Amino acid sequence: MEILSTRNLTKEFPGVLALDKVNFNLEEGEIHGLVGENGAGKSTLVKVLSGVYPPTHGEIYIKGEKISFNSPKDSLNLIGVVYQERELIPYFNGIQNLFLGQEKSRIGFLSIKEMMEEALNFAKKYDLEVDLNTPVCQLNSGKQEMITILKILFREPKIMIFDEPTAPLSLKESEILFNLIRQLKEEGITILYISHRLEEIENLCDRISILRNGKMVCTAKKGELSQKEIIELMIDKEFTDQYPIIDRTIGSDLLNVKNYCCIKEGIDDISFHIRAGEIVGFGGLVGSGRTELAKAIFTGTKKDQGIVYLDNQNLKSKKPSHNISQGLVMVPEDRRNEGTLVQLSVSENLSLPHLNNMSSFGFLNFDTIKEHVNNIVKALSIKIFSLKQEVWTLSGGNQQKVSLGKWFGKDAKVWIFDEPTRGIDVESKREIYLIMQKLAKDGCGIWFISSDLRELTAICNRVYIMKDFKIVSEFSKPFDSKALLSAMLGGNIDG
Amino acid sequence: MDKGALKFRSFFIKYGTLLSVLILLIIFSLFVPNFSNPQNLINILRQMALLTIISEGFTMCLIVGELDLSFANVASLSSVVVATMLVNKANPLSAVLLTLLIGFVFGLANGLLITKVGISAMIVTLATGIIAQGLAFMYTKGVSVYGSMPKGFLTLGRGSVGPIPSLVIIMALVVVFFHVLTNRTKVGRYMEATGQNPTAAYLAGISVNLYKILGMIFSSLGAAFVGILLTSRLGSATPTGGAGFLMDGFATSLLGMTVLGLGRASPFGTFIGALLIGLLNNGMTLLGAPYYIQDITKGSIIILAVAITSSQSRKLGK
Repeated sequence: MEILSTRNLTKEFPGVLALDKVNFNLEEGEIHGLVGENGAGKSTLVKVLSGVYPPTHGEIYIKGEKISFNSPKDSLNLIGVVYQERELIPYFNGIQNLFLGQEKSRIGFLSIKEMMEEALNFAKKYDLEVDLNTPVCQLNSGKQEMITILKILFREPKIMIFDEPTAPLSLKESEILFNLIRQLKEEGITILYISHRLEEIENLCDRISILRNGKMVCTAKKGELSQKEIIELMIDKEFTDQYPIIDRTIGSDLLNVKNYCCIKEGIDDISFHIRAGEIVGFGGLVGSGRTELAKAIFTGTKKDQGIVYLDNQNLKSKKPSHNISQGLVMVPEDRRNEGTLVQLSVSENLSLPHLNNMSSFGFLNFDTIKEHVNNIVKALSIKIFSLKQEVWTLSGGNQQKVSLGKWFGKDAKVWIFDEPTRGIDVESKREIYLIMQKLAKDGCGIWFISSDLRELTAICNRVYIMKDFKIVSEFSKPFDSKALLSAMLGGNIDG
Repeated sequence: MDKGALKFRSFFIKYGTLLSVLILLIIFSLFVPNFSNPQNLINILRQMALLTIISEGFTMCLIVGELDLSFANVASLSSVVVATMLVNKANPLSAVLLTLLIGFVFGLANGLLITKVGISAMIVTLATGIIAQGLAFMYTKGVSVYGSMPKGFLTLGRGSVGPIPSLVIIMALVVVFFHVLTNRTKVGRYMEATGQNPTAAYLAGISVNLYKILGMIFSSLGAAFVGILLTSRLGSATPTGGAGFLMDGFATSLLGMTVLGLGRASPFGTFIGALLIGLLNNGMTLLGAPYYIQDITKGSIIILAVAITSSQSRKLGK
């Protein structure tokens, strides 16, 4: 039975055709995967289906009846959406978030006890261990995600849409989520599941639809398409190799960290080294301390013990600016808040770290800036229509290129990349891998934090696995993925 | 960091401002003659009543995540409007209601300009505040308003029930009203949700704009109410009578945001903030400190309170 279908659904934004005559349907009780590159229109489709945006043309039918939502309010009890950004009220606890928008009350006064009991019973039904009494801002991202899902479920929607739900989750948490989704399917809820991770889609989904440039390219049953075929359909190009490799020669130590301790960040006695021409992976679960370690060293947080050598110089600084001038740069995980200034233009972002060399007596030298910026845009093939375009208007992949491109021209020796490919499309991922390898080939050392084992094993020379803020093991090529995985999970898989 | 220090810190964050109120009370009682006699304590509450009420309204606009720079001038305008009407023998009840309507209209205009036109609250309320001030001068031609006013109206600001001044009772009612509103009602919860994460609130089906407008209305309405009480207390009104509330109202609410240790505005916190400022004003006056010393002290205390909570919470990583 068809529960939802769209006919020629079109959404136009000024200058962009985000959805182009999309015909799409959901069978009742199925898990339906939706894939596509960033900017293919997946999020727009979700927002049109849930009433956040009205469609420009076309119709949506639910159980054969034409419907039109004017606001998310209208769709709440039919279609629940778990968005990429967690939609929770930070200082509210789980119960308050659960009931948000449909509180139980008598003449306007909240029935607090009643809501508490109902919420606890509801959480028990799905067997999820989450603390519903703590303000959600004090919970970790996995727990927050669970509360978000509970909150949506609580409205008893017929259709649930998950938009990249596993991005912030650890492996263990992802497993819990998949079981939950299967449980929902058994209850008869229809699920639309959006992800960049094709394995997840293959394991979970009954059917797959592929969006490309706002068009629905195809819908196929489970097993009808191989991963390679799916990727080909997504990127509109002959798919050659997801992990391109550039040969590089390995030199001497560029970064050497010995017995590094920073109690404040929870780091106790860590030693490792990165050589010229090497890409060194840092694998581990979310919360294993990889980002904290990188940030502590890059920002020069006061260390309690240990020595950091950068190109044989003792790195003693207490601030990023000193480290940058010594040749250590970082491309942070959160590109929208930490990696770029999204309200500023591409040109302003790319030139920001170089203004000292591009100004005279404090006045900016626009010709030099333009030349520099143009070179980077060309070198990284950043897709923009103007240098003055603001960064928030770019796709994730292009934002990431701006985030790393700002360091070009700094003669950096060691580059820290923190989850550089998270949430960006397949084609951009390839380009990022190439950029990292070119840097290594030119004699830089690459410190590569990633939770994606496949990319780590594909492009790294060595991989350190971190667990509970410690390096638990080191692997060299050729990698044994199973050994890496079990090192990450450790003896205690519940961790 | 050892556990004891952590505990001490989180205790400080949670109760720092409450603690300073307590310490101030003890110091003043020990060293300031007549401070702790019951009459003076009642005086303190009466003196802080108007500031508390206006700050509670202002707190509501902070709760919905906006700002209001117009409330003090709206209070001035309301004060002269109600005074002029009463001196000209208008019916007291309709004079009061009409004045509250002015507050309502200012709040509504602020809210609509912020939500529908999309101008930032700071600019909108700065402009409407200037307009309110201009209207107050226009209405009075720049001079103070005096004359005889109905006795019933004057009781509002001057009367008392037993030993308790009516202003104190009104203040208590206002604080309880807003406290119950934010903690116990749907409307209050929606206002908080709106202020903390408007997108999430919107996606949960909450009319975010409505609650922003409501927050702005509470702020202006509180100001108009205080304008009325001010006239009733003084028996006269001047076109700049409410101006002093701007700085003190901000100070009170900012201090209030440190009370729960979360950087989060709340009616209860604002009351504690007002209490701190009230105690300081009274104690230092009794000590004979000149007004400028009082201002310097108040400013320093605000920085201290905010600095302690924010630096401590930074260390806790929150």
